[in-house]
Amino acid sequence: MTEPLFPQPTGTMGRPYRRYEAHEKVNGTATYASDVRLAGTAHAYLLASKIGRGRIEAFDLTAALAVPGVVDILTHETVGGQIRQTPSLYTGGYAADSVRPLGSADVAYWGQPVALVVADSYEAAREAAQKIDVAYAVAEAASSFDSGGAEHSELEQHALRVGDFDGAFAAAPFKIDAHYSTPVQHHNAMELFATQCVWDGDRLTVYEPGQYLNNIKYGLAEQLGIDPERIRVVNAYVGGAFGAKGFLTQRTALVALAARRVGRPVKLVATREQGFFLSAYRAETRHHVQLAADQEGRLLAHRHEGWELTSRADLLAFGGNGMTVRLYACPNIESRVNVARVDRSTPGFMRGPAEVPYAFALETALDELAYAAGLDPVELRRINDTDVEPVGGLPYTSRSLMQCFDAAGAAFGWPDRTAEPGSMRDGDWRVGWGCAAAFYPAYAASSSARVRLHADGRVHVASGGHELGQGMYTMMAQVAAERLGVPMDRVSVSLGDTDLPPAIVAGGSSSTTSVAPAIMAACDAIRRRLGLDEGSQGDVVAAMVASGTGMVEEYAETRAHGEAPDTMRRLHRGQAAPSGGIHLEDRVQFALGAQFVEVRIHARTREIRVPRAVGAFAAGRIINPRTAHGQLVGGMIWGISSALMEHTDIDPRNAGYINANLADYLLPVNADIGTVQAIMVPEVDDLVSPAGVKGVGEIGTVGTAAAISNAVHHAIGKRLRDLPLRIEHILEDI
Amino acid sequence: MQPFQYIRPASLAEMVMAEREARSRDAAARTAYIAGGTTLVDLMKLNVEQPDRVVDLNAIAPAFSAITLDGSTLRLGAFAKMAAVADHPAVIGGFPVIAESLSLAASAQLRNMASLGGNVLQRTRCAYYGDPAWTACNKRAPGSGCAARDGVNRQHAVLGVSDHCIASYPGDFAQALMALDATVILVGAEGTRSVPFASLHREPGDTPDAETTLRPGEVITEFVVDGGPWARRSRYLKIRDRQSYEFAVASVAVALDLVGDTVRDVRIALGGVATVPWRAYDAETMLRGRSLDEAAAADAAELAFASAVSHTHNAFKIPLGRSAIVRALLETAAMEVRRD
Amino acid sequence: MTDTHDTNAPPSESRRRFLIGSVVTGAAPLMVRGGEAEAADQPAAQAVREPVTVQLDVNGRTHRLDLDVRVTLLDALREEIGLTGAKKGCDHGQCGACTVLVDGRRELSCLTLAVAAQGRDIVTIEGLEGAGDELHPMKQAFIDHDAFQCGYCTPGQILSAVGCVREGHAGSADEIREYMSGNICRCAAYPNIVAAISDASRRMGG
Repeated sequence: MTEPLFPQPTGTMGRPYRRYEAHEKVNGTATYASDVRLAGTAHAYLLASKIGRGRIEAFDLTAALAVPGVVDILTHETVGGQIRQTPSLYTGGYAADSVRPLGSADVAYWGQPVALVVADSYEAAREAAQKIDVAYAVAEAASSFDSGGAEHSELEQHALRVGDFDGAFAAAPFKIDAHYSTPVQHHNAMELFATQCVWDGDRLTVYEPGQYLNNIKYGLAEQLGIDPERIRVVNAYVGGAFGAKGFLTQRTALVALAARRVGRPVKLVATREQGFFLSAYRAETRHHVQLAADQEGRLLAHRHEGWELTSRADLLAFGGNGMTVRLYACPNIESRVNVARVDRSTPGFMRGPAEVPYAFALETALDELAYAAGLDPVELRRINDTDVEPVGGLPYTSRSLMQCFDAAGAAFGWPDRTAEPGSMRDGDWRVGWGCAAAFYPAYAASSSARVRLHADGRVHVASGGHELGQGMYTMMAQVAAERLGVPMDRVSVSLGDTDLPPAIVAGGSSSTTSVAPAIMAACDAIRRRLGLDEGSQGDVVAAMVASGTGMVEEYAETRAHGEAPDTMRRLHRGQAAPSGGIHLEDRVQFALGAQFVEVRIHARTREIRVPRAVGAFAAGRIINPRTAHGQLVGGMIWGISSALMEHTDIDPRNAGYINANLADYLLPVNADIGTVQAIMVPEVDDLVSPAGVKGVGEIGTVGTAAAISNAVHHAIGKRLRDLPLRIEHILEDI
Repeated sequence: MQPFQYIRPASLAEMVMAEREARSRDAAARTAYIAGGTTLVDLMKLNVEQPDRVVDLNAIAPAFSAITLDGSTLRLGAFAKMAAVADHPAVIGGFPVIAESLSLAASAQLRNMASLGGNVLQRTRCAYYGDPAWTACNKRAPGSGCAARDGVNRQHAVLGVSDHCIASYPGDFAQALMALDATVILVGAEGTRSVPFASLHREPGDTPDAETTLRPGEVITEFVVDGGPWARRSRYLKIRDRQSYEFAVASVAVALDLVGDTVRDVRIALGGVATVPWRAYDAETMLRGRSLDEAAAADAAELAFASAVSHTHNAFKIPLGRSAIVRALLETAAMEVRRD
Repeated sequence: MTDTHDTNAPPSESRRRFLIGSVVTGAAPLMVRGGEAEAADQPAAQAVREPVTVQLDVNGRTHRLDLDVRVTLLDALREEIGLTGAKKGCDHGQCGACTVLVDGRRELSCLTLAVAAQGRDIVTIEGLEGAGDELHPMKQAFIDHDAFQCGYCTPGQILSAVGCVREGHAGSADEIREYMSGNICRCAAYPNIVAAISDASRRMGG
């Protein structure tokens, strides 16, 4: 492993501390949601529909109820109206979709929960679920864009027009006009979707992995029709999330209701297969990109039309075109987004939700344009670099794109590349080098935190943030340690509990950016109470001793630049939403990066492998380069996976899932990954947030797939525009 | 997973007797033998396998786990773990195709668990077979149809397919046994018998549910493989989308007896592309006596897929399989092998 | 097509050698001759759905449990014994999160029936200890090299890594990569996992 390069720290923040919770994780004592042991637990097993659309005509529960140990079976018939509708996240609510759990006999998609069996044992619950006989009236299901029943429309809010695209495109000497596509993909965090619910009188405790526990709390309260203050959601460790655990899914209300009905704690651990339907996913996309450049490679015209896919229940699209057309200088721009509604579950956030597919299209097209214009792909980006986005003329708060290209290119050895496709070989392997830009909007939101300082120097930091593996515990401790000027080992941290001061969703790479300022503000308030200046000068412990106080505690709330006036109310309702990126009136703010990869393709059998990748990223302040490095490298490997492996197969005959398991939905294994180097380019941006942080959770996976498709072209001369890139696409082309 | 009766016989005799008695009580009752359990437990959880009795053979296993070299003949106890055989020096040195096929299969954990006998009997990875919600599967429910023929069938077979089933055989080790003309020893109520490994699996035809020629209650106890120059010059090439822990998209086992550049004998077995462990007999016949070069390898590859039938998504397996054969033949020919 | 037709038949039947019913294996004398099975005792068999008493030896302690025969070793460890370090990531042998050491070798507890694990020495992450108060060198190396993020696959990775070293398959980075490919890490800490195992392998004298 190459050691990460990172900005030299000046205080506690910026140092590569080992993870706060490292011992718990290596000793197996970190308690994930399904590890919580509750006395008298009944076990639940979910039954998911195996039709794409239709109606339940009847249940035959006879055999299932006869299984010894079965205590309850929830269906729409037995639940009736006990679970109320809560709107989806996309319509101002909380839920992953707008389908009410066990709300009716209607089946809207393959995998929709249709029953929940509760039994004394997991084995009995599973057996009974497998013995439920459901009679369906099956209707034709539209599975994707080309299905007969798909409803197509344009989303006007994503349309953009600057200058005269048609005229500029027609007149330009170099142009690219091509179509691209990306597949259905699922997060597949290693942790399954587990939920445990236990009632104590009228108070409910929920153990469930979440990126936004307050979202679960307030949404569930609406569904159950109870006071939110009677619900507590607890989760100290999330076993990976990547977007999938940022919503209220249908399972939570079912488990809560079951626990109330049977008067015992109820535990559900959904199967890996069911994880493909329970939460959101990355839906397939299509793109039409037209680029034109002048003799020097300056962009003259840029048009990007996207096609996205959603469910019948929820109209949504990510519209990544709003970002891609703002990345490079260009006077004539046109862009639009269309959406198709089909009989599938509602898609949603998955690591770089808009950025990954749109970047694949744009950054592959740019490589094509570089070849058309006879330019080095890096130089094409340098020629079109800009400090001002070309749509609204707003400034980037900071922009280090070319510094990233230069740092990564040098580390990769880019100057040694011969441009001619097929010109680099190693024995039976064709070698290709490719690159692409990475970008991710810098988002932030309001958050709160409470910090307590004891006279003996112990510090406790509490904020209802979430530890997904990104290093939240460690970051929170570092911020408090630096701000109060105490050693790291004196700081303890609480997170993952709705009884703690509310924090933002751990999504959109915005968690650190948002929570760090609240911790800093609480620390500063403590310093003021002790008569010290803000910042890190002055001994707080000495001041405590001098003041004779045993303990000082301060609570602070912070809001992010550009947030709506009602943001604090929303924070306390589990509805804080990050703002930033291209959604500000006065500026745009992005983390930027550059990805370089080497691919090797066997001359005879065409396996595509990626032995090395180098990325450089400028994302403002890095609070912990050790955990940030993990995020960036992990993101890059996600990009490799996205480019070459991941693809959820859906049978067009009934919109049914074919490979909803980890043997057939391929994720990379250790042997797929060679050397992966992530370079953190120093960057100071005091505008994005008081902490100066832009976030690194997602940018690592943006642009990787384009770099790989560009490298494949370089290796064999064939341009691939549809992901994933597989053997069958290049069998005839060497 | 449905409930079952769990039985752990202490000896092979006890196993045979118990099975005979159980069948005399209820001829329709389904018995499943379990050794490593890596296929059976998986399929029971999916409700695909619903045995009434699970007979745990692990008390018997130690008697049939030996790896012995008897002169030039390799004897592999059918209960030997895949990992033990893959790491055995006699196997690596004298029968590299066996070691490679095993070490490229599954994962280290699964190879520590899975027995050789269970491995050759592992079931297809056809998604429509593996989920009872797809009602049409002739292998799981005879006469119900085949959802894969017009479904998502990238991983499915192009050789040995029928109108009733196109499920591919997923294993690796079986191809090595095919390429080495191995013999398999079977024990059942009617005694012990020895049959060519090539006759163990049945092509789907119109009864894809009948996957092997094993008699009811019969168990594999041993594999017997003759050594020789072809066994030393042998290898297993496995093509897949990810580097490890994946079933083959296409695979080739080659055992080659080469004198100079001339093929004295060759055996080619194919995996990932066929419904059963597949021998490319016509390709072998064509190669014998020829000098092995790119052109001869390509001719053999052409012949090997002459009878291939593809469906919606798996046509690429034909050119891929051909390329894999050429690569495997040339790489096997290039091996440095001691001749004695 | 008849059910006996075989399109992949060899060119000549004479190449086949059928030796039905006449082979005595070298490994053990068989007690079975057609119709003459020795009158051994019936193997003990439980009635369907009747719980069985299962004795599991885990981390040096013996646990007696009354279990449904369908309970996997993974569920017995987690739900019955309370050792939740072993994780359920797929329950089908496709991810490695449930890896434990069985008789010193790494196996998947999700595909092992608990009833079939009796008499075997099982070590979980909770039982993997170092000398004195120290962490096991593999655990320490995982911390030192930041070989995890969310931590969910980590117990399985660490036990698999110990098995990898003991099995003699940690000789190079490439060998570690191949022999650790049965443990999926979705956070993709793979490069750091390889570094940690290389390091620990030296510390373990591997």
